[in-house]
Amino acid sequence: MKYSFFPGCSMESTAEDFKMSTLAVAKALGVELVEIPDWTCCGSTPAHATDALLAASLPARNLAIAGEAGQDVVTCCAACYGRLAAANLAISEDAGLRAEVAKAIGKSYTGSVKVRHFLQVLLEDVGIADIKDSVVKNLGGLKIACYYGCLLTRPRELSILPDPENPQSMEELLAAAGAQPIEWPYKTECCGASFSITRTDTVKRLSGDILRMAKASGADCVAVACPLCQTNLDLRQSDIEASTGEKIGLPVLYFTQLLGKAMGLSDNELGIGKLMTDPSKVLAR
Amino acid sequence: MSNPATIEKIDSTLLNRLDPDGKLNLAACLQCARCSSGCTMRQETDILPHQMNRMVMLGLEERLLSSKAIWACASCHTCISRCPMKVDTPALVDALRAMATEAPADLKRVRIFNEIMLGSMKRFGRVYELGMMSIYKIRSRDLFSDVMKFPVMLMKGKMKLMPPSVKGRGAVASIFDKVRQSRRAR
Repeated sequence: MKYSFFPGCSMESTAEDFKMSTLAVAKALGVELVEIPDWTCCGSTPAHATDALLAASLPARNLAIAGEAGQDVVTCCAACYGRLAAANLAISEDAGLRAEVAKAIGKSYTGSVKVRHFLQVLLEDVGIADIKDSVVKNLGGLKIACYYGCLLTRPRELSILPDPENPQSMEELLAAAGAQPIEWPYKTECCGASFSITRTDTVKRLSGDILRMAKASGADCVAVACPLCQTNLDLRQSDIEASTGEKIGLPVLYFTQLLGKAMGLSDNELGIGKLMTDPSKVLAR
Repeated sequence: MSNPATIEKIDSTLLNRLDPDGKLNLAACLQCARCSSGCTMRQETDILPHQMNRMVMLGLEERLLSSKAIWACASCHTCISRCPMKVDTPALVDALRAMATEAPADLKRVRIFNEIMLGSMKRFGRVYELGMMSIYKIRSRDLFSDVMKFPVMLMKGKMKLMPPSVKGRGAVASIFDKVRQSRRAR
């Protein structure tokens, strides 16, 4: 299994542990992720909030390069997934936009390169049976709140999940690794996303609600599939605790880190030391 | 929001400018408010999604462009996902943001942050977080929040000291220039 890999900017910085754990898990499962040569930013929220042509052209440059290799594009960042998939949809549906994008990026692109999230590759291409076979140290009934946030589930046309209001994909994957995913009501609520810097109080309120609900529902930790969600729930957790005076103490791990642990990969390979809320107690059980 | 019944004349030029091809489906809105009941920002906004759609129909351009709502939107897409008529409110918000020249005082930072992040993309091809944050802190005059996080983020490698070095940065700058030319022509 070979794919063109689009890491995205966060994977080179705040979410370096997501990239490390993704590559480690992929390698162990025989999934080859070849980085798109010379990839550039997808444009993220500021591009679509500013200009529809810019928002389509920045992803299109990368997708056009990836198209030359002929494989599906795989990304781990939920925001990059959303922007690349939205650009594909817009470009394939709108001939006028397609022509404008071709002018902006200097080559034609029809929106035909398939974009997928790594979670889909694991569930659809590798399959649960092979993932079960790869588990050497099962997660021992760890109670995990799987949190999806917005961009893997919405808008519906771009959702990677069959049921965007009550997704079960991470649950299925982590149950195969021996965890006991919990059912809880906030798995697709918004964490406040890119307002982390500009409207910190809003993010503290929204992310605080999510963390407290996960804890009240009996979770030992939270699993995420998005760098922004992880940053807001983990890096902001101490700020949330400070503003309410209530200790939460919930580790927030990428689903790839949890799966990697079950596959016997080392903490170093999985970037476990980069997490802010220490997961060692939870993972040692 | 004042009673729409007091509006003397309905002006559809705004609707035509925002959605010339009817792609956003705004006219299909049933005013059921399912969007607004699920809106992430419902507690912090001044115009709810279903009200925004109706205000476009009525041509209330100034009130929309000076609203908090267009900057307070988190782009979570809950509204369109639950809409029975597939009214594309997130795309409407983006189109209004692109038209607005100012943001209300307490939301200026959102606009500044967007500009700085785009500047980082244009210059480096990818986002250079430390550089972006430094410029943001100066321009927003929000100098001290989160500075205690920087050392630990640098130590954990969650923030890089040096900017990304990408060959494609010239190509990205050229995309920005061509998009600006095309916007001028539009």
